[in-house]
Amino acid sequence: MASSASGSSRRVSAEEVLVVEAGIEPGASSDPILLTTDSFEEVEQELNSVGIDDPQPGSSSQLQQTPNSPVKRVSTFETLEQASSVNSDETDELAQQLAQEHLDCDPLKSKEWLAQNKHIFVLSQAGKPIYSRFSSEDKLVTVMGVMQALVSFVQAGNDMIRSIHAGDTNFVFIVKGPLILVAVSKTKESVSQLVLQLTYVYNQILSILTQSQLTRVYEQRRNFDLRRLLTGSERLIDHLLNFMEREPAFLLGAVKCLPLQPAMRDSITQTIVQTCGKIKNLVFAILLANNQLITLVRMKKFFIHPADLHLIQNLVDSSESFKAAESWTPICLPRFDSNGFMHAHVSYLAEDCQACLLLLTVDRDVFFTLSEAKQKIVEKLRRTNCLEAINESMNKTSITTAEIGLPEMRHVLYKCKSTAQFWSPGFQAPYNNEKEIQRLIGCYQCLHHRLHVPNRPLKLLFQQTDKETMLAWVTSGFELYTTFEPLVTKTDAINSIGKLLKWIKKEEERLFILSSPTF
Amino acid sequence: MSRVDIKIVLLGHEYVGKTSLMQRFVNDRFNESLSYQNTIGSAFASKEMQLDNKKLVLGVWDTAGSERYQAMAKIYYRGAAAAIVCFDLTNPESFARAKFWMRELRSIEENCVVYLCGTKKDLIDADPKLANPQIDIVNRYAEGVQCKFFLTSSKSGENVAEVFNAIAKDYLASNPTNSKSVGNFITLKEESKQSRCCFV
Repeated sequence: MASSASGSSRRVSAEEVLVVEAGIEPGASSDPILLTTDSFEEVEQELNSVGIDDPQPGSSSQLQQTPNSPVKRVSTFETLEQASSVNSDETDELAQQLAQEHLDCDPLKSKEWLAQNKHIFVLSQAGKPIYSRFSSEDKLVTVMGVMQALVSFVQAGNDMIRSIHAGDTNFVFIVKGPLILVAVSKTKESVSQLVLQLTYVYNQILSILTQSQLTRVYEQRRNFDLRRLLTGSERLIDHLLNFMEREPAFLLGAVKCLPLQPAMRDSITQTIVQTCGKIKNLVFAILLANNQLITLVRMKKFFIHPADLHLIQNLVDSSESFKAAESWTPICLPRFDSNGFMHAHVSYLAEDCQACLLLLTVDRDVFFTLSEAKQKIVEKLRRTNCLEAINESMNKTSITTAEIGLPEMRHVLYKCKSTAQFWSPGFQAPYNNEKEIQRLIGCYQCLHHRLHVPNRPLKLLFQQTDKETMLAWVTSGFELYTTFEPLVTKTDAINSIGKLLKWIKKEEERLFILSSPTF
Repeated sequence: MSRVDIKIVLLGHEYVGKTSLMQRFVNDRFNESLSYQNTIGSAFASKEMQLDNKKLVLGVWDTAGSERYQAMAKIYYRGAAAAIVCFDLTNPESFARAKFWMRELRSIEENCVVYLCGTKKDLIDADPKLANPQIDIVNRYAEGVQCKFFLTSSKSGENVAEVFNAIAKDYLASNPTNSKSVGNFITLKEESKQSRCCFV
């Protein structure tokens, strides 16, 4: 914990008040449980490194430099400087072709399909369809052909296509290894946020196949049909995309913890450490409930990246069969090692306690050892009333800001940077239906984007619209996104943020995991 | 899950219902509302059975049917006492796949007793025309390769227990020592428990 706020009582401007309060960093820890690289910095790297052939990352596209190229398509969104928006005659033609194709193909005639907010496509560098979010991908052979043409056309000029902006639609491309991933989005998400989502989709594919297998199949046959290896896994990608739309965890690059009394959490952690401590080659033990982390025990020297943990959460959340039997599942964690599988023993603790335990090892012959360890863990947790405590926390509805005593604050996202964990309260009116929640998440995405624009990042943002007032604030220790009633003044907003931070600080041991236990 | 007496492996094309078969056998459940989800890797469950006054623990490995896990199947059928090769009674492709597993098991894991299992019987009960391939063709094939053939429905539960009963019975019958070891093991375990009580 850094030194606390100075007690000086001089009157200062609103921004200064915030700076004075900045001493408070609820949830901070010098012993983080997760790897804590800033997800967004990585996206920037991602943006710079997309395209293996790209010789000068960050340079503007040749197409854009062509004199006399009329800029017909107006970019309505601020794009990253590195992301070269391709605006030229040639690409216009291709885009028109793309539009033309819309009329020739089946799903493309469907109004419903065309009206979808965000399409995601995956294809091979040879142009073979692999995945489409809203229709069967084999009906989209021609469209994907056009996408491949766009990519290789720009590649031919030793450059890399990043995005096209047409009206309110953004076309975002990334090329990863042998795959091309494309997002066609009418949402307000920024290019870098879409790149982040495409990268997650790519990592999901790696998690199923590993990088080495992916590379190998395409080395052997350039026009390999990857769907053969991915059959049945579309649901993981589908689920991931829906997951990213409603979970701020992805945007924040952080993980939410299940609130638990610190003594209870310690007791659960110690049970796992004691039971599994002697098992060789066990790398991670992860206990999840309601998509939230209860505890994570790791082998010394090894850390798990939040992005990998998100893929694990996605796997657990989308696989009903884990509830029925113990599973022994190969899984590749791309940030941990993109070239190899780990073996995960996955099981729910008990019929009467729906928390999911994952034991990740590099040894493929220890299923029964882990199975036995799991039995022992459950027995001990039952004896020490930990299962009850987990159930109690799982069944409790999340506390709202009104209940904390902040009536004018509607919702908040608080991310502690040093631990890569975040906390958010329960949704309350008017965010009590799916549509409004989506809109709120959309607002957070906009704020997040504006704070993180690489060429001029902001520290503080106060924004009033007719539906809500929002304040976003980044310090060296945390990121905060708050939503207030529409007519709240800046001073009131800042006052209640001060109260909120004090409350989080008071509760930090319950809301966050502040230590990083090892085997 | 202290000990497994009979290791059983489920093999077959994807979407034939291996996981449902296991679910029905182990938990006597079938979730109709759940849409199909492929198995990733494999799953294990065990169940204790009572047969001729003997207790037997059946350990069932449910494998993934997807092509990318095919190479891994070997890990699971190695040392298995029995294999249930499943196919969808309405899907000829899955039957071709079943024949493939049959050949593979016969050539690599000779000691593994293979049982052929046609799943989703409720579908062809409702509409016999759906049966593809015809049942008598499958019967003839099963006779030819000398394996028992069952028609099961995990949805209704029909014949599911029968498959596993047959496996347990054949296992005990095939080798009298099996029967002995099973019986002895149980008593041994009980004795050891008692003795522990005395000393501690």
